[in-house]
Amino acid sequence: MEAEKEKTVSALKQFACEIDTLLRGGFTRKEHLKAGTIAIPVRTLILAGLVLGGIYGVMMGLYALSYNGVDGLLQLMATTVKVPLLFLLTLLITCPSLYVFSALARSRLSGTDTLRLLLAAIAINLAVLASFGPVTAFFTLSTRSYPFMVVLNVVFFGVAGLVGLVFLNKALTSVFEVPPEPSSPPEEVPEEVPEEVMDVSQAEAEEGAKELESMKKIQARREQTARRDLAGRVFGAWLAIYCVVGAQMGWVLRPFVGSPDLPFQLFRPRESNFLAAVFRALAQLFE
Amino acid sequence: MFSKIDALLRGEEAVPWRVLIAAGCMAGFAYGAVMGFFGGRWLQSCYSGLKVPLLLLVSTLVCLPNFFVINTVLGLRDDFAAAYRGVLSAQGGVAVCLAALAPLTMVGYLSSSHYTFALVLNGTMFALASLAGQVTLARHYRPLIARNPRHRIGLTMWLVLYVFVAIQLAWVLRPFIGDPSRPTTFFRETAWGNAYVKIFVALFGV
Repeated sequence: MEAEKEKTVSALKQFACEIDTLLRGGFTRKEHLKAGTIAIPVRTLILAGLVLGGIYGVMMGLYALSYNGVDGLLQLMATTVKVPLLFLLTLLITCPSLYVFSALARSRLSGTDTLRLLLAAIAINLAVLASFGPVTAFFTLSTRSYPFMVVLNVVFFGVAGLVGLVFLNKALTSVFEVPPEPSSPPEEVPEEVPEEVMDVSQAEAEEGAKELESMKKIQARREQTARRDLAGRVFGAWLAIYCVVGAQMGWVLRPFVGSPDLPFQLFRPRESNFLAAVFRALAQLFE
Repeated sequence: MFSKIDALLRGEEAVPWRVLIAAGCMAGFAYGAVMGFFGGRWLQSCYSGLKVPLLLLVSTLVCLPNFFVINTVLGLRDDFAAAYRGVLSAQGGVAVCLAALAPLTMVGYLSSSHYTFALVLNGTMFALASLAGQVTLARHYRPLIARNPRHRIGLTMWLVLYVFVAIQLAWVLRPFIGDPSRPTTFFRETAWGNAYVKIFVALFGV
């Protein structure tokens, strides 16, 4: 019994450690990404997503709990499950197309590593979201306005998503960067020759070499920019797919906050779409 | 204690955080007590004395997890202790500055019994104190930003979230001064509401 307890504690500690390293960017250093590896197990990442999303889900569901007793409790439990599910399901749906696009662009990441990178971005996204949890809870306790809570949550999801995207963009830039060419053996640098001794032909040759060198540099820089553009394009394509699917997935999984006027429903009937609803909430907020 | 507060104001040496919190709470209580003494009401004075430190502490606590995660994601974890100290010192700076302004508020109360005047007076004091907090915060953050410019992002995010939460908390904790024509209460009956919705309605009269 004791030993088992100890085992769980140490496993938990290791889990927390891994998340911490991930947040600090320890798994996505440039050298790792250039080598095309991300050394964190998929299972840990999914678990991290579930736990962190669950934490925010509880905070988000408090609003319903503070209104309608039993129905609210059901809503809280549903929200706790739904928040991580929203992100993981979105990824599940978009992963194949995201992988195909990055492979077409000759990314250095294998299929599993692409999945890991995306999961890592989601874990970071959810960690930031979870850290907003206390603020959401505080506003839940002090406000009655349902549209305000909706808008607040949308803003928090937006900010957290932005942080995740910045992380992803940075990682992608490293992934597509050209690996440094095997450094040529250091050229023999001639001892400083007094100018008088240097004859014209030597000077010309040196100038030619310099020009060649600068041409090479320009070429390399061009290639680098092209690769970076490619990273940008892949990121843009990912972003478009992911955001559209994510927003709609959020819409399908409604309700998250739980309107105080409606009884508990696991899912709401299909109607309208995400953007229209956000605008409606904004309009209602100031009525 | 006094030398520690002096050090906090000058920002020359690191003040232990226990001292910081203790000093902040005491200074906050001192100002709050004066603030609530409008109209000579002892109980309101006591309530307000409790509320000012509560305002500073709770809004810091609520925003701290986000501050931690944002700093970590920005890759600034190694500096977190210093950043965290800067943020706490800013709270301490606000409280100490408020306490130093308390005599002025007292004179203001003695020279006028208009409630609106009291409101404006305290508003000014809080504005001055938050300036002092900004100075303290900037002083702590300057070397951090010099070391890594990304600290500026962390600082901005902290300030935005902190002000957002603090305004709502101040709204919830009303009354601080206490309208003499209303009974003394810890919370105002109708206090539960949303500051931002109220502000919007007041501005645009929707």
